[in-house]
Amino acid sequence: MQLLVNALIAGSLAALIAGGLSLVYGTLGVFNLALGQMVLIGGYATWWLHQEIHAPLIVSILFGLGVGALLSWFTFEVFVEPFWKRHRFLPLVTTIALSMMLDGAILLLFEERPRAIMPGLRPPFHIAGANISGIQITLILLTLLLLAGFAYILHSTPFGRKIRAVVQHPHAAESLGIAAPKLNRIIFILSGVLAACGGIYQGIDQNLSPTLAFAITIKAYAAIIAGGKGHLWGAILCAYLIALLEQLAIGVPWFGGAYIGAGYQQTVALFFIIAFLLFRPTGIFTSRARTA
Amino acid sequence: MAKRFLSLLSLGLLTLTACQTGGSGDEGPLKVGFIGPLTGDAAPYGVDMLNGTKMAVEEINTAGGVNGRMIELVVEDGRCTGADSASAAQKLVNVDKVIAIIGGGCSGETLAAAPIAEAASVVMISPLSSSPDVTMAGDFIFRDYPSDALKTKAMASLLREEEFTKLAMISENTDFAQAFRESLKQDLGVDMVVFDEVVDPGTKDFRTLITRLKDLEFDIFFPNGQSDAAIAAMMQQLREQGLLQQAISHDVADSITLGTLAPEAVEGMYIVNVPTAGEGGEFQKTFDQKFGGAQATIAFAAHSYDATKVLAKAIGTVGTAGTAIRDYLYSMPAFSGVVGNFTFDRNGDVVGIPYGLKAFKEGAIVKVRDLPVLP
Repeated sequence: MQLLVNALIAGSLAALIAGGLSLVYGTLGVFNLALGQMVLIGGYATWWLHQEIHAPLIVSILFGLGVGALLSWFTFEVFVEPFWKRHRFLPLVTTIALSMMLDGAILLLFEERPRAIMPGLRPPFHIAGANISGIQITLILLTLLLLAGFAYILHSTPFGRKIRAVVQHPHAAESLGIAAPKLNRIIFILSGVLAACGGIYQGIDQNLSPTLAFAITIKAYAAIIAGGKGHLWGAILCAYLIALLEQLAIGVPWFGGAYIGAGYQQTVALFFIIAFLLFRPTGIFTSRARTA
Repeated sequence: MAKRFLSLLSLGLLTLTACQTGGSGDEGPLKVGFIGPLTGDAAPYGVDMLNGTKMAVEEINTAGGVNGRMIELVVEDGRCTGADSASAAQKLVNVDKVIAIIGGGCSGETLAAAPIAEAASVVMISPLSSSPDVTMAGDFIFRDYPSDALKTKAMASLLREEEFTKLAMISENTDFAQAFRESLKQDLGVDMVVFDEVVDPGTKDFRTLITRLKDLEFDIFFPNGQSDAAIAAMMQQLREQGLLQQAISHDVADSITLGTLAPEAVEGMYIVNVPTAGEGGEFQKTFDQKFGGAQATIAFAAHSYDATKVLAKAIGTVGTAGTAIRDYLYSMPAFSGVVGNFTFDRNGDVVGIPYGLKAFKEGAIVKVRDLPVLP
């Protein structure tokens, strides 16, 4: 039971980030390798307002989200929009450049030492044999709510239908009066906001340090590749699945009582994903044949 | 094409090297290299190291330099990894032609840079590396920071004294943490270590390992992390699971950042580290004024300060030749620095610095008592 809770905590973080990424990848087909840095900057901005300026938590979180939105807007205009129509792999290079700049900016602005948005201990509850703190429950529920909201918008509203139309055929969509460029921009900014949510989650639940960015990016990509290209639900479920596999890998005794060394935690989880993709190369959750 | 480019590049590098005036001549500034973790998770230590070194260099230069020649510091970032440190050492030795190197910080940095410094007969003094492996790293490799081989002995005897019998530890997979783990296991005996897991460097989610600890009988927990970020996460997640056993850790936990990150979780945690490192003294006052306080601990700055001062004294006494500096360091009279009166033994390890037992109390680090150094 505790393992499930642990997986929920870790998975929610990964799902937030992978969800945003899946949106962008599904609609624009663009790789954003500065994602991890966007996550960190959202978290750091919140930390800064809450811990240094002593603003209330809610204000700080909104500020963090705002910074995330602004940053992703800037990223889109400068590093993605001018390039991605010429070749969809060009932003791969430009966002790597951006990620390096942001790495430097994080070090300059927030220093090297680790930061926590809400330092201190949270008294845990005991629910069905598992320990979980109120803040963790809140974080998990908010994440699920947010992701469900996004999925609902995408799959069940006129706005979502427009987005999917742009994905399927941008020119046809435009000739029907859908402003494709505007939609792309909105989607990119939304993914930035989700990334900032991830950073705030990380900053509240654990702590932020400048070297986390690349690991975050890799995990999010693993989730969207396993989930199927542009399949929002798939990416989210896979984020949780990877987290659960990681916990199971080291949390239960395998092969007659021996535990797998904790150093192999990620290896085992990603190995499962690889094995799965061998049999279903299009992703684990693409059976309904509807993407984006 | 690639080959042609490479050859052009190396040709260019050769020309550059040829143009260097070099620090080891008789004129011009004395070039001293610096390698430390300036970015990455271990950066707080690297920044303290660099500031301590800078402070010493400035003082020496303001006082007229070494025999009238100014010291010029060439700073390289080792990023706490062997690969980056090795290329930093290559550059310092071959391009900048430094006289000596202060560094590295992380033990992995020192071990990777050592063969390069050794081959070029360049003295390297590490102010921070504590891995037992550094002892045998080479003839030109010194350190004014005590080896973990002695520290784990002190820690083991402390645990026996306080009658702890079952140790649970989680270690990061880095040179320093692994060396400490092996050494402690040897000193304690394998039977006393009831839980021993190794995680990837940079891991922040220890919840499942700690869930396993709940079903285990242990009386003391040792977060053996390479960075305070990891130790904070371990302690926080341990306490959130309701595990209230005593905790003990090493140098890395001797960080004021821990007290602000996880004040309740680290409350009462023991730290075994070098005791006096200029805390509260004149050194700290000047340092705080200049750099606005230490990022991790003043001890790291103090050791770097002393390493620089001892090096300057060696150059001042015997000149700039690497072998002469080495011989001086092996046979010098006790050097009275901020961290204490010390000499170097025949392996280049520091002699004369005792250990202290400290503990977290209300978010601050207080000294409990001295620990004897056991041979």
